[in-house]
Amino acid sequence: MKMSKSIYKLIIPFLIIHISVISFAGVNELSDYYKTIRCLVCEGQSIQESDTEFAINLKEQIQKKYNSGMPIKEINKELIKIYGEEISFDPPKNHIILWWTPLILLIIIFVFIRNKIRFFK
Amino acid sequence: MKRHLLLPVVGLVVLVVSVLFYFNQSTNKNNPRDEVSSLIFETPDFYNNKLIYENTLGEFYIINFFASWCKPCLAEHPLLMEMKKKGVKIIGINFRDDEENFKKWINDHGNPFEYILRDDGTIAYEMGLIGVPETFFIVNKIIQKKIQGPLFYEDVEKYL
Repeated sequence: MKMSKSIYKLIIPFLIIHISVISFAGVNELSDYYKTIRCLVCEGQSIQESDTEFAINLKEQIQKKYNSGMPIKEINKELIKIYGEEISFDPPKNHIILWWTPLILLIIIFVFIRNKIRFFK
Repeated sequence: MKRHLLLPVVGLVVLVVSVLFYFNQSTNKNNPRDEVSSLIFETPDFYNNKLIYENTLGEFYIINFFASWCKPCLAEHPLLMEMKKKGVKIIGINFRDDEENFKKWINDHGNPFEYILRDDGTIAYEMGLIGVPETFFIVNKIIQKKIQGPLFYEDVEKYL
């Protein structure tokens, strides 16, 4: 009997710490995510920093979805579908041309200059 | 491959990829921003507690987000009243508002809406709302136009 009581004494604080760490991690993950979402009413600010009705509502809706078990990745996809890429400070890098054109141009220029130098040599 | 062909080949590849990318973008029609949220037809009307059937709304109707705490909503209110007189069907969505304030606001200023839904922000989120007032013009179940901020006479004169 004494043994089981002491086990409980050990387990309960452990559980409390565990639950609080998990919920803190959740809050932290959400507030980190809020920082990546642009407030469309007050551009330049994230919804984490903004107190506009838009930002408050968006935070509430995101939290609801998060609490119902929707992963942040899915929430982000949905948000981008609804509001467009401008909602995110870190938009998905799916514009292949946009991201690769500078590199391709650089290679072309490099090859061109190298050929010219060889020609004059 | 001969060196002098390198540049034209790279250029051609870039061009082909660009063209493919452009057509891929333009054929992507699954844009939820063109569709009306189904939540509007799953939320009962505030006054008669009945659901709205989209087919009864006709070819053209308007969705207007408003709130009693929103001053610009009051500015566009006379235009909405005028449109109601001309037979335009308007669904009013009361956005994040206190119920008593909302009822008082409707009593004081008149009700231009065919249906009124109360929204805790969920419908607004699905419709991609940025702020109130915001008005959506729906033609054949597709969002044809969206006006953020108060309506002006020029925006709705063809319906008056």
